[in-house]
Amino acid sequence: MADAAALQVEPVADDAVSVRVLASGRWTFSGLKEHQQELHRHLEGLERRPPGSVAWDLTGVAEMDDAGAVWLAHAVRRAARVEVLPRHRDILKQVSEGMLVPVEPKRFDPLWAVEASGRGAINFAVHLRDATALFGQLVLDLAALARRPAEFPLRELSAGIYRAGVTALPVTMLVGFLVGVVLTYLSALQLKRYGADLLVINIVGVGVVRELGPMLASIIAAGRSGSAITAQLGVMRVTEEVEALSVMGISVTTRLVLPRVLALAIALPLVAFCTDIAALAGAMLVSRFTLGISPGAFIEALPRAVEVVHFWIGIGKSVFFGFAVAFVACHYGLRVLPNTDSLAAGVTRSVVSAITVVIILDAVFAILLRNVG
Amino acid sequence: MSADEYVIEIEGLLNKVGGTVLHKDLDFRMRREEVVSLVGGSGSGKTQLLRVILGLKRPAAGRVRVFGVSWDDPNPKKVRDARRRMGMLFQNGALYSALSVFDNIAFPLRERGGLDEDEIRAIVHAKLAQVELEPRHGALLPANLSGGMVKRVSLARALALSPELLILDEPTAGLDPDRSERFVHLIKRLRREQRFAVLMVTHDLDTLHELTDRVAVLAEQHIIAFDTLAAVRELDHRFVRSFFGGDRGKRALQDA
Repeated sequence: MADAAALQVEPVADDAVSVRVLASGRWTFSGLKEHQQELHRHLEGLERRPPGSVAWDLTGVAEMDDAGAVWLAHAVRRAARVEVLPRHRDILKQVSEGMLVPVEPKRFDPLWAVEASGRGAINFAVHLRDATALFGQLVLDLAALARRPAEFPLRELSAGIYRAGVTALPVTMLVGFLVGVVLTYLSALQLKRYGADLLVINIVGVGVVRELGPMLASIIAAGRSGSAITAQLGVMRVTEEVEALSVMGISVTTRLVLPRVLALAIALPLVAFCTDIAALAGAMLVSRFTLGISPGAFIEALPRAVEVVHFWIGIGKSVFFGFAVAFVACHYGLRVLPNTDSLAAGVTRSVVSAITVVIILDAVFAILLRNVG
Repeated sequence: MSADEYVIEIEGLLNKVGGTVLHKDLDFRMRREEVVSLVGGSGSGKTQLLRVILGLKRPAAGRVRVFGVSWDDPNPKKVRDARRRMGMLFQNGALYSALSVFDNIAFPLRERGGLDEDEIRAIVHAKLAQVELEPRHGALLPANLSGGMVKRVSLARALALSPELLILDEPTAGLDPDRSERFVHLIKRLRREQRFAVLMVTHDLDTLHELTDRVAVLAEQHIIAFDTLAAVRELDHRFVRSFFGGDRGKRALQDA
């Protein structure tokens, strides 16, 4: 192997040129590394000479790669004469041309805030429009399926219910149980002071059955099923599977969106019901130990404390929550662009939007149903 | 130096995929600066052999060394240096979809370090020019490229570190005949300028004929022949007969 890159400067008695520089050795990335500091100093010294006063002789260069060519091209750009081996001419020329490509200047736009908010508003409007179109398409699909029930994607629906419902039960029930425990404990501490021990069943019962059960189930569904739906549809977009369905004349909404949305709308009330039970079990346990209410008394007091209408409101809301979570997830999944960043952003937005939409829906229900129960 | 004589050395390779033996007693040696094509029927394990060579798969037994370095070498620096001496062109490009064309090519240069951003810019633009792309293409995202451009950008990225060994998996698959032709000439020209060795898997007989010094035939779990194209063609083996002796084979090799 040849020696590392080296430079040799020798003065010449010429009127135009004052020095001649001989480059030799391996002008490659590894060859440059060995005497990098020294070479740098040399080149900087040569840089200070007036343009056209240096002649370069590169015929002693044994090897040249892009890194070496960049250094040399930079050094010889103002040289009076350059001698170079034919086999190194191309690479030197390519790299010199590469150095001449102008850099796009970054300009500061004083109106960027206006532009960004405008773009945000347009973006929001586009989302709203597309979501409305998707919703409309779902309604049309349902109508079409009502006329030809044989084409209903039953298999996908049952798989979706299993995935979003049955497999979600352990984690959702665990969270429900723990929230029941914490809520009861905190309420019990306060109620004990006023001697209103039994009211804990009212507070926790109504709170869990009407609000917390459906809410917890939806938030966990957004994190579990929503993200999974967006990721799956997103990858299908990246791998052009969605396009393949369209090309085969199969409706993407009927085959992909509808079963997922219906599955979660069916599964979430069931999950919410189980979450209610788990949370109430937690409440019962804590009541026994902090307030001395026996499980028998708890169960007996429950129907009197919590009217059945609260239960139905909770379950009814869950249907809408499930629909909303899956719908938002599908909407974002189908918007994923074929790159990894877009997929990640889509999943994040899907989960965040789904939770936000669920909370907004819950607020709307709270206002609409304020006189019920 | 004996270690530098061969870029790839495989001895007694035993390779299993999911319990099935794919390669057995496979020997393969590739010299510097030569162009080797690996051919074999579908399912013969060409891609799997590439994966072993690339160090993406651990063989069950046998010795695999690239630039005299085994991928199991306990010295990570040696392994890294060996990796940086080779470039890989994946069949579908494997460009980073979140990065622009410019950043894709700059990626290996930035990872290696030692160059400032201006130097990297010059090299990336030189690489773009080498693969016959223009500076304005640098801003595009991989999703906006045509199939031929994806190949050329991946080639530019594979060549970014001036490798001594370039591995090509089906370099002309998915390109129309005209584009394939141009791509083959591009590789030929770059090879003349940069003198890297090439190992490629290809089904395209034109590519084979244009580029190859030696052909390795993978069949019956090992390399059954490794010789010049003319010599391999004469071989009496079922796969060789159907591969080169078919109508397409005859047409492509008429003037060989």
